[in-house]
Amino acid sequence: MKKSLIFIDNDNHKNSIDLLEVVRQIYVDDGCETYGICINHDSLMANNVFDKLIQVIDPDIFQNDPMIVTDIMEEVHKKYDFDAILIPATNFGRMLAPRLSMRLHVGLVADVTAIGYKDDVLEMVRPAFSGKIMAGIVQQGIGPTMMSIRQNVFSYEEKMSKTTEVIRYHPLKKRKSGLKLLDMNPKVQSYDIRNSEVLISGGGGTVKNFQKLEMLADVLCGQISASRMIIDKGIAPRNIQVGQSGKTVTPKLYIALGINGAIQHIEGLKNVEYIISVNINKNAPICFLSDLVVEGDAFEFIDKLSMKIKNEQIVTNKLKKVEPRR
Amino acid sequence: MKIVCMVKIVPDVDKFEYDFESNTVVRDNVRMILNPDDASGVGFALKVKSMKPDTIVEVVTMAPESVEPLLLDLARVGVDRVTYISDPIFSGSDSYATSKILAKYLETTSYDCILTGTHAIDGDTSHVPAQLGELLDLCQMSNVIKIDEDALDESKVVFTVDNDTSVSTYEMKLPGILSIQKESNYKLPYIKYEDINKDVNDQINIISNDDLAFEKGKVGLEGSLTKVNRTFVKEYKKRNKVVVGNDEQGIETVYSFLKDKGFV
Repeated sequence: MKKSLIFIDNDNHKNSIDLLEVVRQIYVDDGCETYGICINHDSLMANNVFDKLIQVIDPDIFQNDPMIVTDIMEEVHKKYDFDAILIPATNFGRMLAPRLSMRLHVGLVADVTAIGYKDDVLEMVRPAFSGKIMAGIVQQGIGPTMMSIRQNVFSYEEKMSKTTEVIRYHPLKKRKSGLKLLDMNPKVQSYDIRNSEVLISGGGGTVKNFQKLEMLADVLCGQISASRMIIDKGIAPRNIQVGQSGKTVTPKLYIALGINGAIQHIEGLKNVEYIISVNINKNAPICFLSDLVVEGDAFEFIDKLSMKIKNEQIVTNKLKKVEPRR
Repeated sequence: MKIVCMVKIVPDVDKFEYDFESNTVVRDNVRMILNPDDASGVGFALKVKSMKPDTIVEVVTMAPESVEPLLLDLARVGVDRVTYISDPIFSGSDSYATSKILAKYLETTSYDCILTGTHAIDGDTSHVPAQLGELLDLCQMSNVIKIDEDALDESKVVFTVDNDTSVSTYEMKLPGILSIQKESNYKLPYIKYEDINKDVNDQINIISNDDLAFEKGKVGLEGSLTKVNRTFVKEYKKRNKVVVGNDEQGIETVYSFLKDKGFV
């Protein structure tokens, strides 16, 4: 049976485990024994979804150093001889995957967003030119299939529970890291736009008063996101950026305010149920993808729609009050 | 100390437009630029040089000869040496082959610190910096937003990394590789007016396969481990696109839509 290894990044367990969906798509009918690897952390989430979980716990190992982690991954691969090695394209994964592929002399495809077979050859699709063109890439030479996979694109739905065998692995090679962590500050993040159901998103047309988006987000119980222009101007932090260089989001409702809709932005919208766009140019690219387009100024729209929603709420509440008790 | 900056000349992809009517990407009149993250690396190196004038800065790139004017301008803003690696045998190299070519050159030159960008706006695989680290047996870290120029010497560097969930400061032993992001705000200086046409030919170092001596088949298309099978423009599913005005009637339509779908 084929064997696959997934690197479980401590920064994002869910997205790492979602790579099981990629394994499923590669070995559709043949089945595959799935291995996960955790280095100096545990993953409760991975229990009962992988066949085997390789656990490396060693205080002498500096897990933030890609060189050290490459040593471990190489050892593990030599022991089990995997057919596929999948790494989430987190910041760490993007340092680890190329190093490991060079160590193993294997072709690597980065930031994969889709896979499929063309003439029986596995083709990995990735965006190029800031997402403006897609490239289908095939591996040459020998060795395991290797890719880093864009976060939040694949999701693993298989609910069948497995009994996961935990393998404690003790690396043989122990190299001293040239890297020393001096200070770490977790980012204060009140919400993650990848989990939002309703996103109120602002682009170039909201530069003058981006804060105003909160007004609409409040009445719709949504969260705020932004296009790259807002981030590049330093108006909002990068963690709320939607798009190829930001995050892929999957809300039910996406209200695009003053967003032009460059491909790099649209690439960040996946399975969005409804899109409403507000733009002074009704032919802006985003409008073609919208269910509803409001032609006009974003701030005016925020005022009017917020007011409308509040007024309707007041009317409804009043109606409720006069309803006789039963 | 000596700083080597790895750079890439890329098309200015922000100028590409997507035409929804014909489902094509319009690439007319797109100029070539120095990749923004890489420019930040050179900007930082020149900042160090301005503080410590005995610093030597070398820029290394692999590029066709057509981008030479952009490279000459780097020499004009204060880079001591501009090395460009160019040979028909290298064309079509994927990131694996590219890294091997660049590493082979780097083995022939001296360095204390290698700076690269984190992202390139064209391919954006971010493979080369980490693969150079592997080939040269050096530590490499990406997403660098700040380097402490006062703490920098031949033996170590202190820098800040912007991660998905945290901002961290590390110390790294040198030699090593740091990959900078443009968010660091290190800027490439402008060319001084009097230097616009400065003759910098003696600062240009051209390297071909005569110098690197790769066997045919080890680099270029043949020496690559990945191959672009096809490129295509993704077609986006167009929606209804009901256009309304920003007036009472339009807002009523939006409200009914939201109510209908259960958002209010």
